[in-house]
Amino acid sequence: MYMKRRLVFLSRICLHSIWMLFLSMLAFSQSRTITGKVVDASGQSPLPGVTVQVKGATIGTQTKVDGSYTLNIPGGSVSLVFTFVGYKTTEIAVGTSNTVNVTLTADVTALKDVVVVGYGTQKKQEVTSAITSIEPSDFRQSGARNALDLVQGKVAGLQITRTGGSNPNTSPAIQLRGVTSLTGSMSPLIVIDGIPGGNLDLLQQDDIASISVLKDGSAAAIYGTQANGGVIIVTTKKGVKGPARVTYNNYFRKEYKSRIPKFLTADEYAAKIASGEINATDKGYRTDFVDLLVNHDNLTQNHNLAFSGGGEQSNYRASVYYLNQEGILKANERQQYGGRLSITSKGLNDRLTSQFNLATNFNKANLLTDGGNLQGYYTFNPTYSPYNPDGSWYFEQTSTNELARINQQTDIRQQQTTSGDAKVSLDIVKGLKGSIFGSVTRDSWTEGGYADLLSELSVENYDSTGYAFQASFLNIKYAVEPTLEYNITVNKNHNFTAIGGYSYRYEVEQYFDANNYGFVNDIFQENNLGAGNMLLTGKAGMSSYKNDNKLIAFFGRVNYNYKDKYMASVILRHEGSSRFGANNKWGNFPALSVGWNMRDEPFMQGVTFLDDLKLRAGYGVTGNSGISNYSSLVTMGTGGNYINPDGVWRQTYGPNKNPNPNLKWEKKSEYNVGVDFSFFKGRITGAVDVYKRITKDLLENVTTQLPPFVTNSIYANVGQVSSKGVELTLSGIPVRTKDFSWTVDVAFSNSKNTLDRYSNELYTIKYQSYADIGGYGALGNAIRTYEGDRIGNFYGKRFAGLTDSGDWLFYKADGTKAPADQLDSEKDFAVIGNAVPKVYLSFTNTFKYKNFDLRAFFRGKFGYNILNTMEMFYGSKASLPSNVLETAFTKNGKITGGYQYSDYYIEKGNFMKLDELTLGYTVPFKSKKTFQSMRLYATASNLFIITKYTGNDPDYVRDTGLKPGVDALNASDDRTPYMGTRGFMVGLNVGF
Amino acid sequence: MKRFKKIAVYTSLALLPVLANSCTNLDEKAYDTLLTNNFYNNRNEVVSAVLRPYTHANAWITPGQSGWWRLSELSGDQLAWPQKGRHGYDNGQWIRLHYHTWTVDESTVLNCWNLLWTGLGFCNDAIGNIEGRDAAKMGLSQEEKDGFTGELRLLRAFHYLRLMDIYGNIPIVTTVGEPVSPETKPRAEVFSFIEKEIKDNIDKSPNLSKALLGRMSKAGGYAMLAELYLNAEKWSGTARWDDCIAACDALINSTAGGMNGALALDTNLTDTYKPNNDLSKEIIFSIAYDYIISNFAPQWPGDFYHFNQGQINGNPINGNDGVVVIPGVYTTFDDADKRKKEWLLIGPQWKYGSNGTDPVIASGGNEYDGQQLVFVDNIRKNAQGSTVSDMTQGEENSGVRFNKYRLGPLTDPSYRSCDWAVYRLSWIYFVKAEAIMRKNGGVATQEAVDLVNTIKQRAYSAADWPAHAYTTATLTMDELLAELGREFIFEGYRRQELIRFGKYTTGTWWDHNASESYRELFPIPRTQLQLNTNLKQNDGYPN
Repeated sequence: MYMKRRLVFLSRICLHSIWMLFLSMLAFSQSRTITGKVVDASGQSPLPGVTVQVKGATIGTQTKVDGSYTLNIPGGSVSLVFTFVGYKTTEIAVGTSNTVNVTLTADVTALKDVVVVGYGTQKKQEVTSAITSIEPSDFRQSGARNALDLVQGKVAGLQITRTGGSNPNTSPAIQLRGVTSLTGSMSPLIVIDGIPGGNLDLLQQDDIASISVLKDGSAAAIYGTQANGGVIIVTTKKGVKGPARVTYNNYFRKEYKSRIPKFLTADEYAAKIASGEINATDKGYRTDFVDLLVNHDNLTQNHNLAFSGGGEQSNYRASVYYLNQEGILKANERQQYGGRLSITSKGLNDRLTSQFNLATNFNKANLLTDGGNLQGYYTFNPTYSPYNPDGSWYFEQTSTNELARINQQTDIRQQQTTSGDAKVSLDIVKGLKGSIFGSVTRDSWTEGGYADLLSELSVENYDSTGYAFQASFLNIKYAVEPTLEYNITVNKNHNFTAIGGYSYRYEVEQYFDANNYGFVNDIFQENNLGAGNMLLTGKAGMSSYKNDNKLIAFFGRVNYNYKDKYMASVILRHEGSSRFGANNKWGNFPALSVGWNMRDEPFMQGVTFLDDLKLRAGYGVTGNSGISNYSSLVTMGTGGNYINPDGVWRQTYGPNKNPNPNLKWEKKSEYNVGVDFSFFKGRITGAVDVYKRITKDLLENVTTQLPPFVTNSIYANVGQVSSKGVELTLSGIPVRTKDFSWTVDVAFSNSKNTLDRYSNELYTIKYQSYADIGGYGALGNAIRTYEGDRIGNFYGKRFAGLTDSGDWLFYKADGTKAPADQLDSEKDFAVIGNAVPKVYLSFTNTFKYKNFDLRAFFRGKFGYNILNTMEMFYGSKASLPSNVLETAFTKNGKITGGYQYSDYYIEKGNFMKLDELTLGYTVPFKSKKTFQSMRLYATASNLFIITKYTGNDPDYVRDTGLKPGVDALNASDDRTPYMGTRGFMVGLNVGF
Repeated sequence: MKRFKKIAVYTSLALLPVLANSCTNLDEKAYDTLLTNNFYNNRNEVVSAVLRPYTHANAWITPGQSGWWRLSELSGDQLAWPQKGRHGYDNGQWIRLHYHTWTVDESTVLNCWNLLWTGLGFCNDAIGNIEGRDAAKMGLSQEEKDGFTGELRLLRAFHYLRLMDIYGNIPIVTTVGEPVSPETKPRAEVFSFIEKEIKDNIDKSPNLSKALLGRMSKAGGYAMLAELYLNAEKWSGTARWDDCIAACDALINSTAGGMNGALALDTNLTDTYKPNNDLSKEIIFSIAYDYIISNFAPQWPGDFYHFNQGQINGNPINGNDGVVVIPGVYTTFDDADKRKKEWLLIGPQWKYGSNGTDPVIASGGNEYDGQQLVFVDNIRKNAQGSTVSDMTQGEENSGVRFNKYRLGPLTDPSYRSCDWAVYRLSWIYFVKAEAIMRKNGGVATQEAVDLVNTIKQRAYSAADWPAHAYTTATLTMDELLAELGREFIFEGYRRQELIRFGKYTTGTWWDHNASESYRELFPIPRTQLQLNTNLKQNDGYPN
């Protein structure tokens, strides 16, 4: 049997060879040369890289960058086949003319064809899970401060919130399909070109080829224990076969203040002193303090230069960039440069493929200002001056002169991040491929700062002797992942693809810092720490840490495909983490998903408007290992120095936590059902997904019996959160003519996220409270979540009016009114709002007219509340004589009581904003000898917002995690206040 | 090619067992953390564990955190933390302490519970580890080992004493983690346990000496017995006046050592509170600080000091403008009483060293921003001309302020290093005097008068003294309570005194009215009651 099959195979090869020989002989005798140009049907733009082949022969070529090709074809009746990824394959019979021009139409049914999934790619048609892939043309274009800014609002269900506004030194909060953890990592796993836990600093927007978001558990399970927050897979651009190509992209951006809170101006404030409404001293100055902190000359610029090309065996792409971002506030900048290199090459008769990537980023950040300095200056008596009459800085013990601070202090961080990875694959036998992938990412920084002898910090805290510090940090991540892939087709129609692998990941992190004071002058700054006096007296500080963790996994996936009609995918990952208790280090993470392409079913034949319709359903289990290292060990912690019998003061040690040897994985199981559709020849395409996810065994620091334990909390698996929701992605092309097209893209999501449980058989928690309001009066937490409640419930007093003298009254449980101190927080307080938006909606309108394109991107959040602490703290006379908002005398003018947290300050947060407006022009070059393409564009970001909310820009208020919804200028509870901005930028993309 | 294959095969065969082992090894290596199993191997490690409860005691026995001190003083008739404009409302917690309207969910009450039991846990953990190890293996002699465990057992008894003071009926736990849900014991049983522990260990513990600065000792043990017996009538139901007097005598006669020579009264009334009060002769047990050498400084400035207080003292230490003296208390000090001037702060404030020429200007955007800081003996909104005086009506300068302990100016060689006295000999004099009077039916004897006068006399000049000396006729029980207040103001004992004198829940002061009698005990925090069903709530409080 075996011999026979082999003979058949050999004879087939012989036949082919003879036939091809024959054909080429023919070509030799009667060939002619065909030329032509291939263009895109919608924009009539040239398509480079299209494969042009003589049907049934091995003769072929590729189009050049201008879309042209030249091909020698044999005589006789010949057809040419034009194939290009993302376009319909077109076949044209060659007539007598030697010119064959072709217009290719996009293959909407292929839906961008190939999608990156975990450990591989899949044809879009075969995907059985909820995966959204975003290409560069859809990226937000307002100048990303972080790679994920590019897809903000573009992926239904993925929340990206810039709580730090346009501060270039902050990262956005990222959350997919709601909260999945209480204390562990909530962010999605980032995978860059196969590197798990990739560093976003290494991504520049011009280097990204696609961003793929694995939303549901059935897709993410292949990443096991780090996939509870979803997985975002970023693929960078690679070189393609063809002549060398150079692209240069840049943009310049300038930012302006927007939505500045309306504090009293100096004149208004002085008038109120004069009229007796404010009891304060008018020092005679008229100062706009906050404006002194604004960098009116801010300019951000980005340059990216890339070279790429390749031949039959190898190709390359190399890029370098420079990006200098200046924030709207002074002393708030980030300057970075670096590069990315990728080489692919083939050997051993194309059986061996190797791919190498190297990326690096150098950045220098000025961290002195982050917006935390705004509060002090907004509230400062504006009749004061930042200077004394003699020109020296004005200091007082209880405030900080922020202008002096940015002039007399420094805080600079210099960081370098590098990643290198290599993947070598060998086709062992037909259908069987073995690969080994290895990567290392090294992230290090040093930070240093100094406060002058005469700076306020030094004068008030360090005896006017300066203050210097340095810190350094190093994190290295290693990964080694060998895999075996096997592909087999049984009985023609049953296609199996399988991958199995092992993953070893090790991460080690260390840190060191030192500080000193007692300097004689400002010469050394932080560059000679030992020169300060305080080493001798023990006041100089020093600390360091080092810890590591390991993740080890075995994983596998089998995909089954029957005639592209019925698909199924099975995943199993067995993974262990060093962080967990001795009894529970390992966990299993299975997944199953199925898909059904209905278009090819006989009963659908008559439905002509339908291009494509696919049903998907999946179930998957993932985990979360994003907890602190050494969480389960019995350890001793330092307790501060105390005097020993010999009179020497030495460190003391005592138990610092209650050990939990049963610490185990948080596990999420998720169901997802979805439909992908395309109607009317691609005029309407989209996907709908419905999901329900339950995360069990959530880790929380639960209160434990004290006594008998030493501390009152233990880190234990107690909680359960769940979320369910609907996500809709829709694209429509209402108008499409030769010169004009209008495209609309919509992303919609609705979700409900509840905290089901806090208890296990040992521990019970009735509720947890979150979101420390901070500021004056220690008002406590704004959010309290009982078991079964939605995440983000504001819990507090209910406003019942004011007394005649303007004091607060609130409702008690029985409906009577009472002053604040007579309310019982357990009985009389109530749920007064919710901080998590029920609906996220964004839509993009893209208009193209000839060479012009215009894009308007709107983004909004609906169905939620915000605690307006701006009004609470600054719109109140209780704040006087600190400067206050105008509303302290208007809207809230009657209130005389102190700060109280109640529903009086809870407002609707609903908003819709014009996030981006871009006008672009593509220069039509007749000759493509020097320039092959050029596009100029101008973008305005955050042009306007429609909202009834009266505080800061609601877009910057945190809506992810467990402590959302508190708008504030204070930095309590990890909030990162910043100044609202509106940006304008111009950019240029050129290809040579 | 063949050779390559061979090499590949052999290499992979050789690597296989190595891979199989290291491929699945998930042990953790602790680089910067100490594992308990690997501790107590030498003397220094043992000492570091013995001393851990002391640095923690700073948190609950001194002002600055919600521990024993705040519950004891802010619910009494001398001190309060009123709301001052936009500051100090703090969720009403200070207001409820003052009005005796705290709830079972009160964070101050829960925090005190947690701090005290954690400190007790440090004792239990160290006792268990040291007692369970061989002395030689820890590098100790048997005597040293017994000394450490004796000291730790006394210190544990001290934690129980203060827990019993606040909560009354509590569990008794001597081993970490066992049992998981210990049951409440009646106060009398806790009393007996404490008494036995002290008696069993007092002779194993070392005498007080300079080497035991800031630590529990035999002398501390006697002071604990004095406190225990003084309150025995309330705590155990049986008066123990003779036992109390005996414990006091052991200290008055200096039979258990002293920190600086024999235990003796400080002659100058500021000596006990000055920056270098480690030289005090009368301190029996204290929390020791040394900012200069060890960066360990008192935490109480946070509670007592105004936002600009540092300028008064010639240092950069300011506070949260919190605790003040209740209106009317200041005037109970006679003008001739030096304690009035030395320990309290009132009137216009001047910068350190300026001799009343350079005013301290209030800053920070509060009521008197830009004006001289003037502390007043009232709590009302003077800036608005208001005469309403209650816990919500304060301003930044309201109330007479704390000035008892001194940090010293920056230039002081003992700057920020004054120890906090938990027990001092003057207090033992008063304890003995009170025991004698109570034994005598609440009437002073000459011995009692002499004991009190010995202390009081320090506060008066020789010329003023005869007019202010007590006699057996003038030293009534009420006068003893008043004098206790004057001598021990800010020291944490006020609640205990008021309860002993029957005034805590019946008395009225300033805007405070009488409260329910069950308020003599604080409630068991609700979170703990819910976790541990073997705990029993104190009478009067909801579960």
